[in-house]
Parts: sequence; C-alpha cells; structure tokens
Amino acid sequence: MQSDAAIPAGDIPVGLIEPSLTMGKVTPGSLDDQVLAFPEIRPPKQWYIALAITLSAMFIGLGCIGYTFVTGIGAWGNSSPVFWAFDIINFVFWVGIGHAGTLISAILFLFRKRWRNAIARFAEAMTIFAVICAVIFPLIHVGRPWLAFWLFPYPNQRALWTNFRSPLLWDVFAVNTYFAVSAMFWYLGLIPDIASMRDRTTSKLRKPIYTILALGWRGAATHWQHYEKAYLLLAGLATGLVLSVHSVVSFDFATSVVPGWHMTIFPPYFVAGAIFAGFAMVVMVLVVVRETMQLKNLITMRHLDVMNKVILAMSCIMGYSYMMEGFTAWYSMNEFLHHGFMNIITGTYGWAGWVTISCNILIPQLLWFKKARTSYFWMIFVAIGVTIGMWFERFVIIVVSLHQDYLPSAWRIYKPTMVDFGILLGTFGIFFTLVLIFARVLPVIATTEVKGILPDAQPGAGAKGHFAAGETGTARPMEGPSAPSHHGDNHV
Amino acid sequence: MSETSYSVLGIFDTPDALMQAIPQVRAAQLGTVEAYTPYPIHGIDEALGLRRSPLGGMVLVMGILGAITALGAQYWISAIDYPIVTGGKAPSSWEAFIPIMFEVTVLFATFTAGLGMLFLLNKLPFFGHPVLSSKSITGITRDRYALALEADNEAFDSAAAARVLKEAGAVEVEVLPAPDRSPFLTSDYILRTLGGIFAACVVSGLAMFFATKWFPLLAPMKYMQDQPRLNPQKASAFFKDGHGMQQPVAGTVARGHLPTATGTQEAAAVLVNPLPRTKDVFNLGRKAYMIRCEVCHGAIGNGVGSLTAAYGGKPANLQAQQFRDYPDGKIYWVIVNGKNAMPAHAADLTETQRWAVVHYVRALQRAQNAKDEDLKVVAP
Repeated sequence: MQSDAAIPAGDIPVGLIEPSLTMGKVTPGSLDDQVLAFPEIRPPKQWYIALAITLSAMFIGLGCIGYTFVTGIGAWGNSSPVFWAFDIINFVFWVGIGHAGTLISAILFLFRKRWRNAIARFAEAMTIFAVICAVIFPLIHVGRPWLAFWLFPYPNQRALWTNFRSPLLWDVFAVNTYFAVSAMFWYLGLIPDIASMRDRTTSKLRKPIYTILALGWRGAATHWQHYEKAYLLLAGLATGLVLSVHSVVSFDFATSVVPGWHMTIFPPYFVAGAIFAGFAMVVMVLVVVRETMQLKNLITMRHLDVMNKVILAMSCIMGYSYMMEGFTAWYSMNEFLHHGFMNIITGTYGWAGWVTISCNILIPQLLWFKKARTSYFWMIFVAIGVTIGMWFERFVIIVVSLHQDYLPSAWRIYKPTMVDFGILLGTFGIFFTLVLIFARVLPVIATTEVKGILPDAQPGAGAKGHFAAGETGTARPMEGPSAPSHHGDNHV
Repeated sequence: MSETSYSVLGIFDTPDALMQAIPQVRAAQLGTVEAYTPYPIHGIDEALGLRRSPLGGMVLVMGILGAITALGAQYWISAIDYPIVTGGKAPSSWEAFIPIMFEVTVLFATFTAGLGMLFLLNKLPFFGHPVLSSKSITGITRDRYALALEADNEAFDSAAAARVLKEAGAVEVEVLPAPDRSPFLTSDYILRTLGGIFAACVVSGLAMFFATKWFPLLAPMKYMQDQPRLNPQKASAFFKDGHGMQQPVAGTVARGHLPTATGTQEAAAVLVNPLPRTKDVFNLGRKAYMIRCEVCHGAIGNGVGSLTAAYGGKPANLQAQQFRDYPDGKIYWVIVNGKNAMPAHAADLTETQRWAVVHYVRALQRAQNAKDEDLKVVAP
C-alpha cells in the first residue's frame, strides 16, 4: 500500500496518515481499462444465470400484482383492523434501503470522506432501484392504480383538491422529490464517465448512445467549475433529503393516534433504521460485485470495514430507540401504550419482536471485532440478519400496533397470503434485475471521482509547489476529491 | 478567420505540467486559454482566472421561489379555494404546509442546480465543438491534460499559438477547426426539439381530453358516472315493472316521514298547516315541488308537466276552482296518500316538506289569480 498522495507525509504523525484507498498501482488509464471495459465485453455465464433467477422472481411478483388487479385487494391478507400490512411494510422497507446511497453520495461527500468515491456510484444506483421498488406498493395499495394521478394536486373537473394536512400527501411529495433528486444526482455523476466511454468505445451501436447521453461533455475547465459547484449544491440539498424522506414516512405513523405509533422518537428512529438497512444491502451487493467483477483493488477491505462500522453505529442507535420505546411506554403510565409495547415481546407476534431485536441489536454486535468486519462470512451474516431484522421491525411497527388498538372488540389476528409473499419476492426480483443490468451497462465505479483522488492526481502532490505563488495555497491537502476550489481570492 | 485555425490544443502528461504551463501560455496573450481535463484539477480556476460560478445564487433564488410557490399554492388551495377542517385546525393554519414546502424547495433548487449547470452555464448539449472530434479527445477523457489557445479575434495566429504551447512543455500540439454550429448539434436546437416534443405532448393530451369528453364512447376509463345505477324518472331492467323508481317495501318508514296515513281525505280537512309563511318555508316547498310535483303538475301547477305529453296522463290542474277551494288538510292528505293515478309521496317527502309544498301550492294558486291588492304586497 502506498501512502496517500494528497497528504504530505512528514507533517502528520504516522498513525494519523489515512491509509490508501486503492491497492496496487492504479493510474487514470488503468482505471478506465478496468472499469469502463465491462459494458464492452460479454458477460460471463454466471451473470446470465443470476439474471434468469432474478427475472423469474420478478415475473412471479408481476403475476401476483396482475392477480391482485383482477381479483381485487381481497387477494391480500389485509382486513380490518390491519388495513396496512405487507404493502406498507414493504414500502417503508424499500425506501429505507435507498437511504444508504444518498448518505454515501451526499453526507459523506460534504464530510470529505474520500472512501465514498469508489462505492458512491453503486450505492446511488441502488437508491434509485430501491425507490422504484418502494413506489410500487402504495400504487397497488390504492386499489385503482390507474387513478393514482389523483394523488397530485392539479385542477380537475371534479373541483377537488388534495388534503395538504395529510401526512400521506407529504409522503407523495417526499418520495417523488427523493426519486427526482437521486436520479439527477446519479446522472450528473455519470456524465463525465459516459463521455469517457464514448471516447473509448469502437462499437457502432454504443457510440451514438453514449454521445447523446454524455451531452457533448468535453471536460473543459470552465465546465468543471460549474459542475463541481452543482455537485456540491446537490450534495447539500440531498443531505436535507436523507433526513427528511424517512422522517416524512414516519409521520404517516407518528401523526396518528394508534398506540405505539404516536411517538416523537419516530422520525430519528426511522432515519437511523433506514441508513442501517441500506448499508447492510450495500455491503451484501458490494461483496458480490467486488468478487465477481475483480474490483478488489478499488473496493478494498478498508471500504467494507468502514461500512461495517457505520452498520455497528446505527445498530447501537436502533438499540437505544427500542429501549426508549419501552421507557416511553412505562413512563407514560398509559395502559394502551403499555399493552402495545408488551405485545411486541409477549403477544401473538412476540416471535417477530424477538427476531427484530436479535437481528438488529444482538447480531451486529459481532462487528465490534475487526475479524468480523473484514471477514466475508461474518459481514454477510450480519448484513442478511440486518435485512431480515429491519423488515420484521416494520412488520412489528405496523401489524402489531394495528391488530390490537383501543377497542378489544375489533382485535383480530392478521395472516398474509401467498400473493403478499409473491409481490415481496417480485420486488426483490426487480431490484436485483436492475442491479445486474446496471453492472453490465454503466460504469459501476465513478471513475472520474476516483481519478481525482489517485496519487499524483492533483498538482503539487509531494513536490514543492512550482507554479505561481498565489496558487500554492489553494491546493489544500485535506480537501476532498471534487471540492470546490474557489476561495474568493480571484485575480482576473 | 480560416477554417483550420480556430484553436490549438497542447497535450500534457501530468497535471503538474499543465498547471506549470498555464501562466506562461496566458502571458503570451494570443487568445482565450482553456483547459480540458479528465477530472477537476484543484486550483485551475484561479490559474485560468475564471470568475466564480453564479450557480449558488441561482439555486438560492429558485429555492426561495420554490418555498414561496409551495406555501402560496397550499394556502390558496387549503384555506381559500377548498377549505376543509382537519384535526380541528383552522383552514389557514400553515404549520402543516412545512413538509411540502421543504420538498418543493429542494425540487426547485435541484433542478436549477442540475439543469442550470448543464443548459444555462455550460451550454450543453453541444455536439459540434472541435475538441469532441479531435484526435486528443480519447486522452482528454482518460488520462491526458490539454491546454487550448482559442481564437478571440480574427487575427488568431495558430502557428504562434502552437509555438507557445510547445515552449510551455506540451508533448503534442493539435490545430482544430471552428465549432460546427449547424443547428442539429447545438443545445438551442436540441432544447427547441425537446420543447416541440413537450408541446406536442400537451396538445395531444388536450386533444385526448376533449375527444373523450365529447365522445363518451371513447372513454378510456370508466369513471363513476358510467357505473350501473338507478336514475329517477328513467327505465331500468333491474326491476320487474321496468321502473327505476320504486316504492319502499311496505311498512318501512324513514326518519322524519311520519305520519304515513291520516285517515280519509274528508277527515284530514280539519288539519292546520303548522308551518309559518316565511321565505325559507316557501323556498323549501318550491324545491320539493320542483323535484317531486313539477314533472306532472307543471311549473305553475296547471297540470301541464313535461311527462304529461309522454304518458298521456291527466294530472290535476291545481289552478282549478275545485282545488283552490280545498282546505290545506285535503292537499296534504293527497301528498301523503296519493289519489287516482298519483302515487303516495309519504316516502319521498318529510313531514316538513309536505306542509311546505302545501304552502307553495297555495302561493302558485294565488299568483295565477292575483288581485290588485296582491300587487301592493309585492311592490315594496
């Protein structure tokens, strides 16, 4: 491993020098040859097998959705008083998965965490695919999805408007904004990479496609200047979104009066859970990508180690939230709240409560050990555990709270049907189909961003600043890869 | 300016060499200095003397505009145009508008940052720039760093520019032609095309809307007005007698519809109308009369209603002397029990509505046979 280029060794104690983010010799040229070559070569047989599996899952799901349309929502297990069940569980689950991508691309960018550059592209793609899976559920849950445009406030001949005091409408705006901003962020990041692919491809088919998608990007310094500014602004805006989207999703519950939902801890608790679940999914997918696409030199064990640490931190926040829920139930001296909380651990669905607690709180504690953080077996074990646990957490929040609320005469046990499971399987199929296609069609690593943090990528690295004196001060060592480089001292 | 002397590209192998060359090339003052790099280089903006990007200000303005738009739209919709009380809050309470205000602010700001950067500041898409078709472009988007001297006036000397770049350390030099501004390649044309497509979508959408509105057979979706249902005064195959309107099952009495029978008509003559003669009562009576009575008895009670011709029936002419002499109670009795071909309306009209109709019938009779002193009542 080489010492990092952007940090002048000597000024900093050895222990504080950031270890390298790449392994072996990586140059801008070799990076392009390694990453941008994937779309140009035939995928291996395993890829087709994986695609066949995910496509079958997808078609099972689409079949179940079609069956629902033909027979009606009665095909699902939802019935009074559990009107929200698998559909909303899966919606919250998938929206949550998306949050890791935005966190990596936006918040870690603002914090100048340079390890994000190698994994940001994949995580952002997963955000978009997860949101696509998520929006399927509210759409089919409305019963007549071809009228879903009624969710938007537009002047209509019915002279009706949407209710802006409903958290469900806030959700419509939050999720659509989230999708639009994520897509914009992802595409802006892709433009220079697509330009690289445009200029290296010899295929008569791909050339015009890349040419159009790259919009004539030519890497001019005047363009980079605006581009970096736009990227920084988008990162700042998306940061607000990471915190807001799942907060708004939690308002769907928190602004109601159902015992177990009506709590102020819900927004931060949901956001932490979303990042938790999202990182677990990113770790799972990255391990597979790293192994099958020979990207070990770019996505190093250090990346996985850092992400596992994030998972551990989020797990601790989740543990605190669960304890606070119990504390609130006890301290409120409200017997409905008390009953609701005891239902989670002792009721009919008590097993689901214990699955949630063990998968989300107990299993991730393994990550305190460096051995577990750097071992495929243990990190995949934890990631699968977290994914299952976070799905069950939403099950507990929704089904356990709804099936017994204030009126004992209305209590009823909820049972999902095979159609419910089929649609859930279908969204996993859609998600992984999109991931597989993405991995073969677009650059899986943001090559432009990684080029910017390679050794010798920035002027003055390791050498005495040999350009005009006024400029040397601007090449600040700790600065991130695409940091804005205007500091006001322009000398035109 | 000749075709081949628009700009000269000098290629450098490292960012250090590029940065070192910039002051030298700028000092020659042969034209505009521009750099082409595979990724952003720190400090190059200052070296090239670029001005600060105005994007931040644009995004701020549009973000604030988004917030105002969202607040204004929500306030107008929820407090003015369609006020509904939710959770006991006043229609104008604005606190619930904050989440959507935030989302719309982010949406406006994001699109300004992304599209403003691409389209307004960078003038992309533009496919006619000579750098894109140069030999050097494969290096520029890969791992080479280019410095360009671009013509800023007619007297651009490409040979001198190439010499300056060589002296500054360029390993290769390439002379490029002027940009191809043929319309197909410029962002203007592309934006206009996109605008045209958008306009075509709007036009075809409106055409679809009106086509389906004027020609209901084309309706792509069944809305509520198309569902099977019973219409008043219309035939229906649902019931044996083919009528859409049916009498309720014998013995059912709706709330407010008692009494359902009042003995014989003669006995009912003594009943007194309990309602006062107020404007509200006459309005109530008029409305009930229009719905239930007018189709047969006619708008002025002369027995010529819209159904009379169709069915050949002979509804009573309420203006006839016989009916003008009826006491209120006998009219009331007919409304409740029906008479001859007229069905009972006990199930259709509440007790209050029946007496209000009686008042209204009296008003119709008086209006058709008005005396001079009646005018005095109306005049003031």
